[in-house]
Parts: sequence; C-alpha cells; structure tokens
Amino acid sequence: MLPVTETVKDSMASTSSNTPPAAVPPPSRPGETTIEITNFNAWYGDFQALHDLSLSIPKHRVTAFIGPSGCGKSTLLKWINRMNDIVPSATARGTLRLGGLDILSPGTDVVRLRRQIGIVFQKPNPFPKSIYDNVAFGPRLHMKLTKEQLDELVQWSLEKAAVWDEVKNRLHAPALGLSGGQQQRLCIARAIAVGPEVLLMDEPCSALDPASTLAIEDLIFELRQQYTIVMVTHNMQQASRCSDQTAFFFNGKLIEAGDTEDIFTKPREKQTDDYVRGRFG
Amino acid sequence: MSAGQLRTAAEPKPVPAALQNPDAAAQSRNSDRRQRNSRLFYWLCILIACLSVLVLGVLLLSIGVQGGHRLTPTLLTSAHSELNPEVAGMWPSIVGSFFVLLVCAAFAIPLGIATAVFLEEFQPKSAWLNMARGFIQLNIANLAGVPSIVYGLLGLSAFVYMFNVFGQIQVNESTAWVIAGEQRFYQVRSLETGQIVLIPQSDPTQSKITITGPIRGVDAAGNPVDIEVWEPGTPRPTDSEIKRRTVRLGATGGAYSERSWYFFRLPLGPSFLAGGLTLGLVILPIVIISSQESLRAVSPALREASSGLGATTWQTVRFVSLPVAVPGILTGVILAMGRAIGEAAPVLIVLGAAISKDSGPQNLMDNVVTMPLLIFDWAGRQQATFQELAAAAIIVLLVALLLLNGAAIYLRQKMQQA
Repeated sequence: MLPVTETVKDSMASTSSNTPPAAVPPPSRPGETTIEITNFNAWYGDFQALHDLSLSIPKHRVTAFIGPSGCGKSTLLKWINRMNDIVPSATARGTLRLGGLDILSPGTDVVRLRRQIGIVFQKPNPFPKSIYDNVAFGPRLHMKLTKEQLDELVQWSLEKAAVWDEVKNRLHAPALGLSGGQQQRLCIARAIAVGPEVLLMDEPCSALDPASTLAIEDLIFELRQQYTIVMVTHNMQQASRCSDQTAFFFNGKLIEAGDTEDIFTKPREKQTDDYVRGRFG
Repeated sequence: MSAGQLRTAAEPKPVPAALQNPDAAAQSRNSDRRQRNSRLFYWLCILIACLSVLVLGVLLLSIGVQGGHRLTPTLLTSAHSELNPEVAGMWPSIVGSFFVLLVCAAFAIPLGIATAVFLEEFQPKSAWLNMARGFIQLNIANLAGVPSIVYGLLGLSAFVYMFNVFGQIQVNESTAWVIAGEQRFYQVRSLETGQIVLIPQSDPTQSKITITGPIRGVDAAGNPVDIEVWEPGTPRPTDSEIKRRTVRLGATGGAYSERSWYFFRLPLGPSFLAGGLTLGLVILPIVIISSQESLRAVSPALREASSGLGATTWQTVRFVSLPVAVPGILTGVILAMGRAIGEAAPVLIVLGAAISKDSGPQNLMDNVVTMPLLIFDWAGRQQATFQELAAAAIIVLLVALLLLNGAAIYLRQKMQQA
C-alpha cells in the first residue's frame, strides 16, 4: 500500500471534509459583490472583442455567461484573472475590480491574482504526473507545507471536488489514466487546492459525456457555498440548471444580465428571448 | 421550395456515358497496371533503403577487414609510438576525448537549454527584448549551418588567444594571467653533482637568474632553505649536506614551473578547456534547436493550467514544461555529443595535433589529443601498420558513438514511461 494513502486515511477520521485545512483561507460572507466590471473594453489587435460593458458578479453565486461563439464571453472570463496576458495582441481598457484590487493595473501581481481567482479550462488538462502531485502542484508553488499538511490539503480538495472516493486508492497513479469527467473534477480539485475566492470555468463540461456533465454540475452547485463561480457555457440548459445569475453576450456587447430565472422566462430584450428559445446561435 | 424543383428531383438524370456499359476487361487491365506500378515503387523504396544501409555495411566491412586484427588490448591501453607502430595505442586520445566532451557538455547543455527556454517560454515584455529574441532566433538558424572549421578559427581567437587581452603565452617568458595553481622557480645547479636548487621566481617576465649572493630558495621537497654561495678560488665545502644547498657565484638558472591539477590561466592557450569550449560552440545551435522543438511540443494547455494556478513563468518552466520536454531535449543533446566526439577540424585548429602525448591532461591548461585527431594523423602516415591502426581506432570511435546513441534511445524510452 502506498504510504501517503495510509496517512490520508488515518487523518480522515479526525478531519471532517467540510472544514478546510488551515492553509485555505476561511470563506467570506455571502451576499456581496465579488467582482465589479465597469466600462470594460477589450481588443485583439484592431478587432474590438468587447464593447463598454458593466456587470457585477455576486459573491458565492454562480454567474453564467451565455451567447453564441465569438461573442466575447470567454475573452471577458480570461481577462478576469489576466490569462490574456499570454496573448500578445490582447489589450483592454476599463475597470475590473476584485474587492479593493484593480485587476487590470500593470502593478497587480498576477501570480497572487491567479491564486485568488482560479480557472478551470474547457478540456481537462491534468499534468502528466500522479493524481496526488497534480493537486499538490499549486500548494507547493505558493506555500511551505509539511507532508501531513499537504496530505490533508490534497484529500480535502479531492473530497470537495467529489472525486476522492474514486481516486483514494490510487493517489500515486498517473492522472492521465482517469476518465475525462474524473480528470475535469481533478482539475477543479487542483484549482481549489490553492484556496481561491473565485473559480472561473470556461465551458467546463463541453468535452464531457452527459453523466460526467451531471456530476460536474452538481459539484458546481455545491461549490458555490464557498466560492464565487463564473462559468462560460454554450449549453442553455446547463446555465438554467446550475446558475443564479446569467449574462447574455452578443457581438461583443452585454445584452442583458439578471437572475437566471428572469433571463430564461421573461427576458427584457428580444435578442435574449430569441437566443434562449433557440431561434439563433 | 417550389414545385418545379420538386419535379426535377423526381426525374433522375441519365447516367453519364462514361459509366454506362463498363468494359470489365479494360478495367481489370487498368487495375493490374496500377497494382504493378505500386509493387514496383514498393520494391524501389526497399532497394534504396537497402542501398544506404549497404554503403554503411561496406564501410564497416572494409574498416573491419583492415583494422580488425589491430583491435587488441594494446591499442586501448598504450600511447602513440613514433618508432614502433606495433606497440602504439590510443589510450591518451580516449581520455582526451572524454575530457574535451566533458567540458563541451558542461558548457553547451546549460547554455543551450537556457537559450531555448528564453526563446520558447518567455514572452519578452519590451520591444527591445522582442527584437533581441528575433535576432537570436535568426542567428541560431544560420549558425547551425556554419562549417565547423570556422568555429575552429573562432575558438582559436576567442579561447586560445582571447584576443590577446590577457597577454600572451610563450615558452619561457609569459605575460598570461595566471589565476591559480602555478609556482614558478629558477633552477640552478648546486655543487653536489646532479642536484639542483629551486629559487622562487618573483618577476614572471625575467626568464633567467644570475646568482650574485646568498638567497632564499626551496629544496626538492618544497621546504625553504638558505642558499649559500661559493666563490671560485675559495675553499669548496666538502659536506654533502652543505654542497646540496650551495651554488657557484655567477651561476645562471632558467625558469621552471610546477603546476597543480587546478592550474588555470588566461588566455586558455591550446588546452582541452579551449577545445571543449570550441566544440561547445559547434553543437550549441543543435542543442538549442532540438530543445526548442521539444519545448514547442509541450501542450499549451499544460502551461495554461500551471499559470492558472498562479505559477510564475519560471515555475511553469521548471515544474511543467521542462519535465515534459526532457526526453526530447536529452535525445537532441546526446546526438549533438555524438557530433562533437567525431569532430576533427575545429579541434585540430585549436589544439594542434599533440599526438605524442602519452597520457590524459595533467592540469586544466594541458593539451590533449582526441580520437579523431589521432585517426587523422595515423591515416596520413606511410607505414601500413599505422593505417591499420587508424582503421582499428575508427572502430573504437564508432563503438563510442554507438554507445552514446544507445544511451539516448534508452534514456528516452525510460523517461517516456515515467
């Protein structure tokens, strides 16, 4: 038997899965705004991908971005934790605020920012390492932890991501041996292991089968108790099933944002109505 | 949809003439002909593939026939001998090649991988750095095609002479900068027959000393002694102990230096360090390009995953990109080393052909002979024995190459499994 699995099993009895290990910051109170977006514009070279949009993302809620391909929703998502820094032609103007932090300011420490705002990508992208090392990757970057603390944190994250029971007996097996849905939940565990406040999800289920999609959706619903979640999705049913707030984008503009129920049952704009009814897009 | 379109769809068009009344015999002939061409091409490919292997086989066979019987333990253990080719061997050249390759690897591998990481992994923020990146990229592509003899000339001026900024190396007088490991003495004959005294040299440009009075010196064991002077005409000391440390007035002595293994000076002179660095330059573009290819093959999704977790660029390189790219980098590096071990031209220019050396390097500034140099020299001699020896040495060199390539394949397999 693998030694780490043993220690993790031992600590399982004492640790309740709902209390995060000491390394993870305590959750904040619900009901406030986490991310405030004001007059935001974004470009790729000369092409303006987003036009002057303002939106506030509430704390401990799931916000879904919907809209046809190329409407700018992924662009906005990737600006929220500055993943677009990697794209040389991407520029932005306007304000993105996380609490008191000006996200777009050149002085912002993107490394700390990305620890606060984690991201889960469309295709599961575990590292070609063991399951354990995948989850421990982030904590090892940011913190000095003892082996026991790390074991505890890995177990907590995997439990939180609802994948612990499936992998607890093979923590040191290669992560690439997992199924697609398990890999995606592993990626979510990896993202929450660094203790973010916000989780960005870029079409987290589009590469998965229906059963895995269901598991991830349940997980998203669970996770919003502790995390603010922003999700891009092409799947309208998914947005209506697991989000609290929905924002509809079209051609780089934010057409409408509001409670998910309102957007899907009584939208104010005709374009929104057409889109959610499946008339275009 | 209009009614007219529907009606047209209901009436099928007549089958084109080309498809009516198929000529079965013609079709079969056609098919046979194409099958035959295909088989012909298949055998042509096999023939050409065999031809290239055949050339290699003929080469190996002729070398084997010529030098096989010279492949003896003597060849591997003894040194070159001008007078008696029967006992000549290549041991110093094996050691020499090893040390030159060691320096070459220590220089080219870190530099090459670091350059590849800069070119592939870091997006330069400033326009200036971006231009530098483009410039370096362009140059590396060009450098890979430069003939190695040109690198030899570069190594000669950059490493052997260092553009003479650190002075020059000459036989007795030297203005080179000695950094460590050298003690210079004058050796003067003492009154005891066959014994000398050593006097530390204070001025390195003074290649001779003339004894004018008593002076401090050292004995053969390195202990300081007072050196006495005997003036001709006065009674000669008789005690052997005193004669040992007494010199004649007006005796002269030449310079002599004792070098530790860590003897280091600038410029490097024709030393194995200079040779290794020059070979490092030869393989640097190869290492950079193969490392770049391996890094480029790392999925961008992994880099995104890493930076999405808040890893810095360096952490992403260190913990994600490099570990994934290592098998490819390693393969490139070992193949480059294979090129380095067989290079003769740049080494010949930098080190000369010091084939009479009877051992490996004695200190960091020592000259060496490498396997290709020895082969080059032996193959050019008139005695048939030396030509056979050259063939045998080629076999040894090929085996060394084979070992290197085998190691590359083994390591790649092993790392890809892990």
